[in-house]
Amino acid sequence: MTESSSGPPRHGQPGDSAPRSDPPVEELRSILFDRYRLRIAELEAELDALERQINDSDALAATIAPIIGDAIRRKIRDARDEMIEALYPIIGQTVVRAVSEAIRDLARNIDAQMRTSFSPRAVWRRLQAQVSGVSGAEMALRDSLPFAVDQVFLIHRETGLLLWYVSQSIDDSFDSELISGMLTAIRDFVQDTFGRGESGDLDEIQYGDWRILIETTQYAYLAVVVDGIEPSGFRAEMRERVIDINHTYEDTLRQYDGDNRPLAPVEPSLRSLVALTEPRELSTTQKRVLAVVSALAVLCLAVVCLGGGWAWRAARSTPTPQPITPEPTATYTVAPSPTPTTASSPTPTVTPSPTPTPTPTATPRPTSTPPPTPTPTAAPVLGVMTGNVWTHEGPYISSPPAELIEQGQPVEILAVSGDWYRLRWISRGQDEFVAWASARWVGTMMTIPASIVTPTAAP
Amino acid sequence: MTSIAKKICLLGDFAVGKTSLVRRFVYSLFEDKYISTIGVKVSRKTVAVPRADEVIELKMMLWDLAGSEEFSHVRASYLRGAAGAVLVCDLTRPETLDSLRTYASDLLGISPNAQFVLAANKCDLTEQQQLTEQQVKDLATALDAPYHLTSAKTGDEVESLFRHLGKRIST
Repeated sequence: MTESSSGPPRHGQPGDSAPRSDPPVEELRSILFDRYRLRIAELEAELDALERQINDSDALAATIAPIIGDAIRRKIRDARDEMIEALYPIIGQTVVRAVSEAIRDLARNIDAQMRTSFSPRAVWRRLQAQVSGVSGAEMALRDSLPFAVDQVFLIHRETGLLLWYVSQSIDDSFDSELISGMLTAIRDFVQDTFGRGESGDLDEIQYGDWRILIETTQYAYLAVVVDGIEPSGFRAEMRERVIDINHTYEDTLRQYDGDNRPLAPVEPSLRSLVALTEPRELSTTQKRVLAVVSALAVLCLAVVCLGGGWAWRAARSTPTPQPITPEPTATYTVAPSPTPTTASSPTPTVTPSPTPTPTPTATPRPTSTPPPTPTPTAAPVLGVMTGNVWTHEGPYISSPPAELIEQGQPVEILAVSGDWYRLRWISRGQDEFVAWASARWVGTMMTIPASIVTPTAAP
Repeated sequence: MTSIAKKICLLGDFAVGKTSLVRRFVYSLFEDKYISTIGVKVSRKTVAVPRADEVIELKMMLWDLAGSEEFSHVRASYLRGAAGAVLVCDLTRPETLDSLRTYASDLLGISPNAQFVLAANKCDLTEQQQLTEQQVKDLATALDAPYHLTSAKTGDEVESLFRHLGKRIST
């Protein structure tokens, strides 16, 4: 045994510094140190692998991700408040930003709604809101929610074959034919599994914000992929279209042979559904209802106006402080004079002029008898209405109304009772009326003879 | 080129190779898991077939129906509107041939004008075959349908199987 082999090695690996010439020594060394060499080699390999893993960021992430995930889950479970406080600065800002963007979008939509608030559609919506007891603000908010139509499938109900397809975007990877087949299979599955013999169809499939709205007819159904909440009336639009298609192409659809070329004209109808993301025109039915409501409103307004006019006239027939301003023409008194002087010029409205007749021709006779004195009571007292007035059956306002007498109507004053005149007039229809009216509305240039005046008013 | 589409069903017992025929030789978008969840998976095989004096593009929408009993309640719905069917049996399992009569009868009850083509699958497993070609031929004759000895594994006769059916349903 050599000296070097008896003691521990001073440098390098165990035994490396020893000479290898002596086979027994080599054997002994192998016995003593091989396991260490092997272990060292393993450690070196592990160290290399670890180094590679650390230098490779993807591998490192893959390695520690599960550990971090577990650690976070455990920390959240054990110290929830602490984790919330730690994450709030990050998550809080993200949430605030997202909410702000959503509110800005909402505000923009509401602005757009306000700009169209006088459109027939807006009027219709308000009418709906009134009927359903929803406030206008809630309705405006509802209308402002985002909504988009992405794809429209028209599918043959029995076979599941795609009849027509329109899309908002052109995506070649989207296989509408296979989708329509699977969609039909899902419909059939749901119907058979959950329908339990009841009549009915699957009318909606939802996944996250995306939904598939389905409207079915006898031979075809319409599946519309939408994002967001559809506005009210959208389903009615869908139904209207698919029913129309079903009706128009009934023969083609009943025995569909797989050739969809005859259905090409449905494209604009389906395309218009995609365009319905903006506030749309009212349907024919809605327009009709709105027209009827508008007509009724106009009718009510007219009735109110007429009623108001009637009430106004009735009110005006009561004495109001509106003085009668007699014509500034010469007021003449019926003064019978023996000479037929007609110095006065009667106003044209008062006809016939009350010229006293007969006027005796002055024949100078020595024995002339004095001319007969005309009796003033014989002449009618004429006047004219100065306003549109309701007449009454008696000489007071509370008596029942009789006839409406128009401004400018010539009248004959038959009697006077207080401030009321009993009038007689001929209407345009040549009917004769007799009724009482307030004296304020009757203009006359004639002196009221005392013979027709009743001394006591009788209210 | 004129293009028409037809609904085709793949019918046969569990594990006869229906899905394998579809998986290798037709275009599919969906995973096979749908067969075990809702009982069907829809794929498409497009072939060019002669009709009258023209060649048309025929899109066969293949409804690969689950062979297991648990979906028997929906099978009738899935068969509705089918223009034809590929009846698949397994040459190594004689009972799968007998079942084809029932499948054919079910389909004819719903779609009386449906056309068939019979696929005796797994013809590559020659040593394990327990059905003879004559047995397959007899059933095919009874159903008034052509038959093909197919192998989804090697692809033998698969294309001609679909083309044959396409020709039958497009005329």
